[in-house]
Amino acid sequence: MRSDFTDSAMAVSGAFIRASVYAMLALPAILVIVSSFTSGDTMKFPPRGFSLRWYQKAVENELFMSALWTSTYVAVLVAIIALVTGFAGAFAINRFSFPGKTFVQGLAFSPLIVPAVVLGIGLLQLFAWLDLTQTIYPLLLGHLVLAIPYVVRTILASLTLHDRVLEEAAMNLRATPLQVIRRITLPLILPGLLSAAIFAFVTSFGNATVSVFLTYGGNVTLPVQIFAYVDTSYDPLVAAVSSIMIVVTLVVIWAIERLIGAERVA
Amino acid sequence: MLTQYAPATVKDRYVREPLLRHRIVTAALLLAPMVLLLVGFMVVPVLQLLRSSFLPSSHLLDGTGFSLVQYVRFFSDPYYSSVLLETFVDGLIVSLICLVLGFPMGYSLARLPPLARRWRTIIVIMPLTLSLVVIVFGWLIILGRNGLLNSVLTSLYIVSSPKQLLFTRPAVLVVLVQQFLPFMILSIMSVVTQINPVLEQAAANLRANRFVTFRKVIVPLAVPGILVGFNLVFVLSISAFITPRLIGGSRVAMLGSLIYERMMSELNWPSGAAMAFVLFVSGLGFTAAFNALAASRLIVGGRRYAL
Repeated sequence: MRSDFTDSAMAVSGAFIRASVYAMLALPAILVIVSSFTSGDTMKFPPRGFSLRWYQKAVENELFMSALWTSTYVAVLVAIIALVTGFAGAFAINRFSFPGKTFVQGLAFSPLIVPAVVLGIGLLQLFAWLDLTQTIYPLLLGHLVLAIPYVVRTILASLTLHDRVLEEAAMNLRATPLQVIRRITLPLILPGLLSAAIFAFVTSFGNATVSVFLTYGGNVTLPVQIFAYVDTSYDPLVAAVSSIMIVVTLVVIWAIERLIGAERVA
Repeated sequence: MLTQYAPATVKDRYVREPLLRHRIVTAALLLAPMVLLLVGFMVVPVLQLLRSSFLPSSHLLDGTGFSLVQYVRFFSDPYYSSVLLETFVDGLIVSLICLVLGFPMGYSLARLPPLARRWRTIIVIMPLTLSLVVIVFGWLIILGRNGLLNSVLTSLYIVSSPKQLLFTRPAVLVVLVQQFLPFMILSIMSVVTQINPVLEQAAANLRANRFVTFRKVIVPLAVPGILVGFNLVFVLSISAFITPRLIGGSRVAMLGSLIYERMMSELNWPSGAAMAFVLFVSGLGFTAAFNALAASRLIVGGRRYAL
């Protein structure tokens, strides 16, 4: 490439922007982890000393631990149900032709464009009307709606990308359609299925913007508990609890990375 | 079973052939759980929300009747219109900053070899998968009175005493940018991956410098990704309420946090529903107008390049 002043100016500013953006993206999480090990009583930077006392407090804290349990429980259920319904839906969209296909596809992706406040208060009113606010159903169903687009997108991509020749070969060998799906299609797209389930899990596990409206009575998830706590007070206890969430998220990203490569999240 | 039929032939054929009718039934059964879930717990609640925004009462879901009083109250009060305007301006600023920062990021990610791309992608998607409240908490550590930024500034003697950084509008905007930037980076990355690098080499051979190549080759081809990212970031920013509430406090009003307040503290659900609908519809309208504008510019621009 020919080099001139504009070229080098763009190269330098590009490198500068990239370095600062990576730093900015990673900084909040790193700081949360660093300050969770403080031995001091308040949030201060730089943190004083090193101790695990805030982790001990976090584990002993009834509110946070029951919220962590609720979050995990809901997220696992969401992952399983979203995977099954999402796979059925994506399979129908990919392999069948039927009237109104574009509409169904649009519907499957529409939770992405409905603002969280709108969905949240809509669901709050619905469940208040059904008198179900004290149960786990608002969280479960709300998170399922949020997870569907990610699951359908991941499975659609796997179904489109894998080689259909194997399925045709199996059918030539007189396998029934169900046998083909069970013995050929599902094993072939297994990485896609697993990462779809993981996406559903993180979507549910980390969600706060819709959950705050759905934890109106009774079951509180960890992000909502953190939100409520930070809204009024500010101490290293939250740093310890948040670090637990960061670790869970990192494990999940690592798993997706192993399965299908992280860039497929796009 | 696994062959596809062209949509146009389906309608006239499935009446005559029982096998095709069977296929339609199978497809309907496969789609049913997903469609029922989305209709029952997304479409119905949103419509119900629309209905309750026309209730005249001001507490929970009391009362019946139909009135425009919530909307009249919203649009006649200059405070609300100024918050709505402010929210949209904030959304635009956040989207523009995300675009300026996200373009070089997404472009370089798309052009990197897979190995170098790996850990960078992990950094980019981490804020997306991590819970929003954790990120906001991280920013409280940075921006707080005894936070990182203040301790850096005072130890460098740039300021003599800690400054109030939280509860300001710039702080809210910075945090919103950090949260939503990954959406922009990823949508630009996915579109740049599809641009053949040969085009850039050709432009360079024709003695275009980087800036000319960027403006005349890359940007026009990346417009779909730019639009997707811009719309996504805009809609997410105008409906944000956790960040404005925790970072901005009561001093920075954005529509999302007003709605949260109205619903959860004042329990005035009809008013909250009306405000949520104003947000939803104006957000959709804005992005539609923006896309139409971009599309018309693109067609005109395309003609100019074609000539």
